[in-house]
This record gives sequence, structure tokens and C-alpha cells, in this order.
Amino acid sequence: MLLSTVVLVTVAGGAGIKRINANANPPAYAAFSRMLNGDDRIVHALDRLTFGARPEDSDALNRTGLNRWIELQLNPDRVAEDPVLTERLRVLDASQPTADDRAAAKIIADKLAQEKLLRAIYSNRQLEELLVDFWFNHFNVNLNKGRDRYFTAAYEREAIRPYVFAKFYDLLLATAKSPAMLFYLDNWQSVAPRPTRANATPKRGLNENYGRELLELHTLGVDGGYTQQDVIEVARCFTGWTITKGRPLSQSATAASDDGQFAYNDKVHDKGQKLVLGHVIPAGGGMNDGLMVLDILAHHPSTARFISLKLAQRFVADDPPPSLVNRMAETFLKTHGDLRQVMRIMLDSGEFWSEGAYRAKVKTPLEIVASAARATGAQIDSADALAREVQRLGEPLYRKVEPTGYSTASADWVSSAGLLERMNFAVALAHNRVPGVTVSAADWERLGAPEFQRH
Amino acid sequence: MHSRRLFLKNSALAMFGIGAAPGWLARAVYAQDGAPQRKRILIVIFQRGAVDGLNVVVPHAEPSYYAMRPTIAIARPGADDASAIDLDGRFGLHPSLRDLKPLWDRGEFAIIEAVGSPDPTRSHFDAQDYMESGTPGVRTTPDGWLNRAMPREPHPSPARAVSLTPDLPRMLRGKNDALAVASIGDFRVRDPRAAAEFERVYGESEDRILNGTARETFEAVKLMQSFEGSAYTPANGANYPEGRLGRSLQQIARMIKADVGLEVAFTDIGGWDTHVNEAGQLANLLRDFGAALAAFSQDMGDQMADITLVTMSEFGRTVKENGNRGTDHGHANVMFALGGRIRGGKVYGQWPGLGREHLYEERDLNVTTDFRTVLAEIVSTQLGNRQIGAVFPSFTPTKFLGIV
Repeated sequence: MLLSTVVLVTVAGGAGIKRINANANPPAYAAFSRMLNGDDRIVHALDRLTFGARPEDSDALNRTGLNRWIELQLNPDRVAEDPVLTERLRVLDASQPTADDRAAAKIIADKLAQEKLLRAIYSNRQLEELLVDFWFNHFNVNLNKGRDRYFTAAYEREAIRPYVFAKFYDLLLATAKSPAMLFYLDNWQSVAPRPTRANATPKRGLNENYGRELLELHTLGVDGGYTQQDVIEVARCFTGWTITKGRPLSQSATAASDDGQFAYNDKVHDKGQKLVLGHVIPAGGGMNDGLMVLDILAHHPSTARFISLKLAQRFVADDPPPSLVNRMAETFLKTHGDLRQVMRIMLDSGEFWSEGAYRAKVKTPLEIVASAARATGAQIDSADALAREVQRLGEPLYRKVEPTGYSTASADWVSSAGLLERMNFAVALAHNRVPGVTVSAADWERLGAPEFQRH
Repeated sequence: MHSRRLFLKNSALAMFGIGAAPGWLARAVYAQDGAPQRKRILIVIFQRGAVDGLNVVVPHAEPSYYAMRPTIAIARPGADDASAIDLDGRFGLHPSLRDLKPLWDRGEFAIIEAVGSPDPTRSHFDAQDYMESGTPGVRTTPDGWLNRAMPREPHPSPARAVSLTPDLPRMLRGKNDALAVASIGDFRVRDPRAAAEFERVYGESEDRILNGTARETFEAVKLMQSFEGSAYTPANGANYPEGRLGRSLQQIARMIKADVGLEVAFTDIGGWDTHVNEAGQLANLLRDFGAALAAFSQDMGDQMADITLVTMSEFGRTVKENGNRGTDHGHANVMFALGGRIRGGKVYGQWPGLGREHLYEERDLNVTTDFRTVLAEIVSTQLGNRQIGAVFPSFTPTKFLGIV
């Protein structure tokens, strides 16, 4: 009967994080003990570790060998970049506006989204691109918030991209010092409260925004064991971490200018002693207070678990088996947050290569658009319209308002409106009705089918 | 309405054949010759980002309000256009909410003060999640309270529960079907051949989640298409503001007037997280917010008798302004309830006061009414669902406030 259908939508990971204590997996995770074999492993690798398989990818991967291919993806410097991409990015960069008006800001924003799509579609360093997207989303900033339109390009290039296979501390520090994050979470104007005369105009004071999200979203996780007082103490430690006036002249000229750069202003720093998660931060530590906080957080067991869980939710399944998350978290702690090692443990695991993980995730809008372009061997003269498609599907790139970033949980990307937009996109792409994009085979049936929505 | 009835009758036959029309459609077609079965409708608006309730409904009789907000307090009523609009001598509306004052005066707009969640979290994400699941502190709840609030119905309309958002919000997820409709006009597969093919393929798919969502989607598409083509002019000279909330409410109005079987609607609006320079941002957001609610009420006219609209936000903001002419994350907040059945013109809830000794953790407005008590009253009166224990598990509401 038409109307008797009951939709079961599990909100696995909907609340973000579950406590994971078990060493052995409960029976619900049995599918993660059944191993994939042969061709399914190739399909799975291309599904999960790239933005979708291109027609030629499966043969190429077979020739390279799965293990070697993964090791190369974990070491992108050893992978030659696709000259097509290099050329596209050069052309895109050359069109950079030098005018410093608001129209230029919109162009900067559009170019960033185009660059993301071009890299996702063409790059030979697919895992690196997936991780740049993952970590940008983890340390989300919103390009539409004020000066962040000028800071976001440099943020991804200088604070995220270089660190996706580095130590977590280095990534955390780079984001903490980035003008984009300092502006987005208001820390740039958080200062030590000063005693004011009774009827004086109130001076600026403490702002908790960064302190809270640093603990909740960037490191420990909401269950990571901190209190409201910890939030305040952390915020006190970061007073004085600010941004110089002005803004970088252009996307690629940040080094040439002192405008819109990180600065530490000791005059507004809270000089008193602080107590963060039980650690005494002695009085008079200056900028070192914030560095100490980052060090405590980057090596905290809650951080190890939270980061491992988030990676496993993206790369394995919405509700990944505790056995895997525990091993990743142990590796995180043992290697002082070496993100390449954490990834390697995950990609070496039986759980990753299991039926439980196989096609278990629904693609996000960016993934659906990039994978469709890759599957059809689309020729892309401009990725502008593709970026608009990603937005229409519910994921405006670089414009997530909330600091949580976009969800990677499957249930969050299955909805009636979203499904119809996916079908419309499939038809438009196959019929060459997405401006700037040309495909030769009109296979809309495949691109809009249920199978293509998963990976 | 007449041509639509004809259309429904014809399309019912075309879509399902004689005798096979689903219950909701049969009702829509045949019930209209007699007295229409007017269902009561509940609309929920979520203000994401934690709106500063103390500057929305201003406690202008509280000296501590002005002491703790030296630069962002809304002036006591009467000073000028930028001062609060007095409601009852104690509270006043933010001046940008001027459009709602007539509704207050007509008794169709009630305010619930010091309402919130018993959970202490100041995390946007967790607090929203709890307010949507309806189970503060419990993260494993799989569905949302608004979904659970819908009474069982054997043959519900595919447009019984609609969210005017690109994705289905947590609040509406669960075993009752619910739609996400970003815009009625775009709610279809544009290529008819592809539409038919996708309907078939998804219908045959063994992917349970995608199959289920697609089935309800394609049914709803047909329903929406039955009126989407015609132009829409809001009634009674209502003028919806630009912006997402205005657009969402206008589309809800359309669906109600088209009699699609809507009983529950949801939409949300963000931007309320005013840590810095709150005054200007809040004024702009509230201007749109008030204008959209007022336009909807005007557009619906007499039909507001069947409608209750409720607003909520994850938590309030600090009583004291912060160092950047903004406010940080707080605790209790304010809710609005609008509609023909609302006993409006009154501020409900026990006001805890803003003196330091009355504050939550010495900084925030204390919660004196659990948000579930307010929602339970509305659910039981508006949706006729008295199984409150199933809507809000392990929660026993205190005495209802008498809002409805």
C-alpha cells in the first residue's frame, strides 16, 4: 500500500558523539567482522578515499596495487599532480581581482568554491583533498562573516592544508593563530576585563566564544570533561590573541603585508593565574598561556577519542565500531597526535575493509557533485555552476554559519527536497545543462539512482 | 477551491484508480461537499543560535537589567522610537517587534518567560539537539518530539508534516512520515521522463532509507503540483517580508489554504548568536521576524482559529553584556505562542528576577518553566495528543500554564 511506508531514519551520530568504552564490539557491529574481498575492496577504496571513481580508476588502482596506492595517498608529496589541475588553478589564480572593493570579495568567495571543486574532481592527491575538506569543516569558519571573506582563502591554504598529515598540535595551533578563526569566533577582541570607575564607559572584556568551541568542537568534544569555569579560564588564557588592522591585500599576498595578520597584544592579556582542566597556568605567562592550553588539549585522551571518532565516522561508518575508534585513539596518544599514523591505523584495519563499511554512507552534496563529474569524465571549463549545485543541495561551500561545520552523518543528507535536487542535478549534468561543464555520455539514470547516492 | 476539488477528484482517479485512493485524498475529495474537516495545525519556528530573550521581551521594571547592560539595554517604554513597547507594566517588546503589538492587543499573542531546558549545557549543538529530541540530557533518542506528537493515523496525507528547510530537522524525524520542502515551486523532478523513471527505480530499490524517502517524496510532489502552478496573492493585504522566514511562512500559508492535509509545520531561522555588537544585528533580525509572523497571521485571517504557532530557541544569553557589546551563552529564554486559540495578551511563567541571588550560576536567567511543559500543553490541545509520556518520555509536566 502506497501510504504504509514507514521511514526508518537512524540518527547515528546525530548527536555527534557516543561514549565508547568497550574493548570488544557489541553484536550490532557484526558486519564489521565480515571482510570484503577482491573487486569490492577496489570499489570501496575508490568510494571512500577519493571523491568518486573515474572510469579508468579501477584498472589503474589494480596496476598500482591497493597497498602501494594507499601509501601514496598517505604521502601526497610522492604523487605527481595532474597537469590539468595545475593549469586550471593557475588560470583561476590569474583571474584574481586586485580591486579591494566588496565586489572583489564575492569573486574571492566564488573562486574558493571553484578551487575546491576543481581539486576534488581533478587532483591525483584525492585523500589529501578529502582531508583538507574534513579538517576545514572540523575547524569551520564562515566566509560570510565580516573580514573572514578576506581571511578564508589563506586560512585553508596556510592553516589547514599543510597539516592534514602532520601532528594535531600543529594543526590546532595554526587554526588558533589564524586571523580567520580569531575573527570567526570573536577572540580577536576578547580582552582582560579591567576594573572601571563606577560611571566610566565600559571597556571591552572577555569573550567566551572561542574558548568554548575550542573545547567542545575542536578538541575534547562536548563530553570531554570540561566545565563552564574551564571555558572562562581558557578564554582568559587567549586574551590578547588578536589580528592587526586592515586585511591581506590579496589571496596570495599575505606574506607581503602586515595587514590582517596574527598578533599577540600583551597589553590586553589577562596576567593572572589560571586553572585549566586541573592544570595551573602560572601568572605572567603572556602568550605562553594559550600555547600551554593548546598543548594540554592536543594531548588529552578526550581529544584523541573525539578526533578518532570523527575520522572513523567520515571514513568508515556513521556509527563506527568501538574497537576501531579505541585503536585509533591509542595511536593518537602514542604518536602525540600524528594524523598520518592515525589514518594509517584506520586504513589498515579490518573494520575499514568490511561489509559494515561498504557503501554504508550517503554522499554529502560536495561528494555527490564531485563524484558525478568524475564518473562522467566531465570536462570543466568553469566550476562556478557546480559550486551553485553544491549549494542548492544544501552545502554552500565555505558558508556554514555554525561552528559545528557540516554533518557527515548519512541521515542528515537524506530528505525529500534533497533527493529531488539530486535527481534534477543528475538530469541537468547528463544533458549538459550545467553551464561550464560538458559530458559525453548522458547517463542520468545512473547518476540519479539510489546506488549512486551512496559510497 | 472549486477547480481544485475537481482537480483532486480527477487526479485521484488518475493516480490511484477508483476505490484505491488513499484515505487522505479521499477525504480531501469527498469531505469537501459537506462541512470541511478542518484539522488544527501546529507550526514551530526554531531560532537557531540562542536569541537574547532579555532584549526581545524587555524586563523594563528590573533595575538590574539596566545595570548589567549599560550599552545594549533597550530603553524603558516611552522615551522614543528605540524604546521598549510596553506590554503590562513589567515587560516590553523590542521596538523592532512593533508589528506584533496588534496581535498582543487582540489577545492572539502570548509570551512565556523564563522557559528553558533543565540541562545545563551552553553548547548550541547539544541544546538544540535536546530541544528537538525533547529529551534533555539524553543523546540517544532516535526521533524528535514533533514527530512523536502526531497522533497515529492510518492513512495520513503525504504533506501532513512539512519542514520548510532543505533537510529534515531532528525535531521532525521519526516513524511518522515528514517532508523537507525547501520551496514548493522547486519540489519536483523537472524532467517528466526522469521523474517517472526515478519513481520506478527508487520504488524497487532495496535501500530502505532511500526507498522510503523517495516514496513519500513522489506522492507529495503530486500533491504539491496540484496547486503550485497558480499564482499566490496573500489575503487581507498581508505583506510578507523578504528573507527566509517570510518565504517559509508564506509557503506554509499556501499549503494550508490548498488543503493538502497539513497538520504540523516547521521552519527555522538563524543568526541569533550575538556575541559582538548585538544591538544592530538583533534589531534587524527581529524586524523581519515580527513582520513575518504578523504577515502570516494577517494572511491566514479567520483560519488562525485553527492554528497555533510557537517559537523557541536553544537557550538564552547572559544577563550581563560581555566585553564586546554582545552577550554570551546563557540559560533561560522566552517563547512566543500565537494563534486564534491562544489566550494571549499575557506574559506567562514565573519571573525569577535578575538580582544576582536569583540568577542561574550567578550569570543567567533561571529556568522556572520546562520548555516541555509549554509544548505538552500545546500538543495536547492543538494536536489532540494526550499521550504526553510518549511525546516527552520520562517527563511529567507541571500544571499547564493555561496558554491555550
